[in-house]
Amino acid sequence: MEIKYTVQGLLIYATIAAYLLAFVTTLVAFVTTLVATNLLRRTKIGQILYFLGRILYLLGQILYLFGFAIAVVSFGYRWYHVGHVPLQNLFEVFLCMGMIIYPLSLFSRRFLGVGGYIADMLIGAVVLLPAGFILNAQPQQLPPALQSWLFTPHVAVYVLSYIFMAKATFQAISQLAGKGTDEKLLTPEQATYRMIRAGFPLLTLGLILGSYWGKKAWGDYWGWDPKELWGLASWLVYVGYFHFRYMFGKKYPRINSIWAIAGMVVIIVTLLWVNLSRLFPGLHSYAT
Amino acid sequence: MWVGLALIILLFFLSIYGAFIGAVRAKSFVNRLPLVVYWSAFTLLLITALAVFRRLVRVPSLLLIHLGCVFILAGAMWSSEAGHKLQKRVFGIDKIPIGQMKIYEGYSDNRVILENNEEIKELPFYIGLKDFQIEYYKPAYLYVQTWQDQGWKVPVEIGAEFSLGPEFGTVTILRAFENFKITIEGGNRTAIDDPQPGFNPALEVQLTSPEGEVTTKYVFERFPGHSHSQDKFLLSYHRVISEYISRLRIIEDERIVAEKDIEVNHPLSFSGYHFYQHSYDTEAGQYTVLMVVSNTGLAVVYAGYWMLCLGVFWHLWLRHIVAKRNKKHINGN
Repeated sequence: MEIKYTVQGLLIYATIAAYLLAFVTTLVAFVTTLVATNLLRRTKIGQILYFLGRILYLLGQILYLFGFAIAVVSFGYRWYHVGHVPLQNLFEVFLCMGMIIYPLSLFSRRFLGVGGYIADMLIGAVVLLPAGFILNAQPQQLPPALQSWLFTPHVAVYVLSYIFMAKATFQAISQLAGKGTDEKLLTPEQATYRMIRAGFPLLTLGLILGSYWGKKAWGDYWGWDPKELWGLASWLVYVGYFHFRYMFGKKYPRINSIWAIAGMVVIIVTLLWVNLSRLFPGLHSYAT
Repeated sequence: MWVGLALIILLFFLSIYGAFIGAVRAKSFVNRLPLVVYWSAFTLLLITALAVFRRLVRVPSLLLIHLGCVFILAGAMWSSEAGHKLQKRVFGIDKIPIGQMKIYEGYSDNRVILENNEEIKELPFYIGLKDFQIEYYKPAYLYVQTWQDQGWKVPVEIGAEFSLGPEFGTVTILRAFENFKITIEGGNRTAIDDPQPGFNPALEVQLTSPEGEVTTKYVFERFPGHSHSQDKFLLSYHRVISEYISRLRIIEDERIVAEKDIEVNHPLSFSGYHFYQHSYDTEAGQYTVLMVVSNTGLAVVYAGYWMLCLGVFWHLWLRHIVAKRNKKHINGN
């Protein structure tokens, strides 16, 4: 664990702070509004609390947006600094995740009817922690294999799909915890499905682009490399999820959620363990 | 469908097992007989599912997804080493599945060492190497480090003086060599950049202490850590490779029929084979090593990729977007 006393480091810490403040503020707003509308209904204190809750909610939104703005600056700064799209290593991938969580959060709520807005703020802060404290931020020049038009789309679609799958996992956990939801939004089980529906095509595209790129760079579209195999394993978990949900989804909705959580576990292994552990040396070792 | 789900779960565990044993052993593992049976069973099951479940044919996106998987599996089996052997036995098509070629600058060759290193086969044409080149990112760097782990990254700019602070003085890079050699003329040793074949990049570095004492050092890229215990600094020379380039020509019936500079990500395709930049002569930069791969079955795999991708996006994204729009349209009316 190491504190980064650099402009890049400060931008990351500022983003984490903004996301965490947004999370706490929105959570307090949520609790305050809940108390005001349920326990202190039609009382003066209740009205005040409700008003306070609305203000805190708005403040949380502003802080979240502010965090996103800093994350964009941070990503742009890194791009300028390294001279190529910063998606080369884990540090840059996590930086990107911390940035795209906000637009995906808005998109999911507005167009897909999926909540989890408060959790997204926390996810944003959590994915930036490794970038801020653990991962090596030393800029690197692109090795010949990474100098391809496929570099950005291959990594970018994976990053997007991972965020969707992370949101799906949150919904799956909510379902297992028996949590209810806003009337305007989908139930956690439906929301899990919708998030996986959004993320799975991107996961598939990432796998196929990677395979096509492997053929161009190394001569084989499938090299049986540990990263490829873990990538395939995570894809297969979601294939299994779709089949299981189609076959038994209504009878065993809780098991659907377990599939979704298992998918995220395998994604974490693919993203972190394969790159950081010496157990899996392979063609993707430069991505650490 | 139960069997399908079971095969998916089995493939999941096989993938994880493969990841633990490493790429080379995993490749050999998936080509063994039990796994060949597995791949065949999986393909047959998909075809059976298409024949039995009418929904898979009625819904075009599901048809694309499942047919795409059949194409990928069939193409992969067809392009495998076993697939090549089968093609030779049944159709008499004798293609090299995968191998390597070592070609020296100014020479041409058609011999391919097969992947198992046991056999050499010949291509029906020759590949000539006009030139092999390595390009580096600029600037290169000289790393100066004290024994107390204080360090500086000095860009290689000939003649420019770089300050290491009042405590350590300055460093100036006087010369950069591609192929450093020492000649002895009249008892004097002279460092030269030898134009003869060879590869020994080095820097001539002048260190000036705060007291004005000047020392000259040679720093070698290929021999980092070359220093004496009385030296004040550890010096190392680093260049980052940006590209490997092999300038190739294809010779058929003693005529040049094609020319291409191949790089990583930019292979050469000719007469059913792909040629990749694979390795090179690290000692003298005199030869290149190409990987030769047959393109048999590749079009089938790519067709499968397209179908799978289109099917998945159609089924999970487009179908729902269109349905939502239609619903809005109906509500609007």
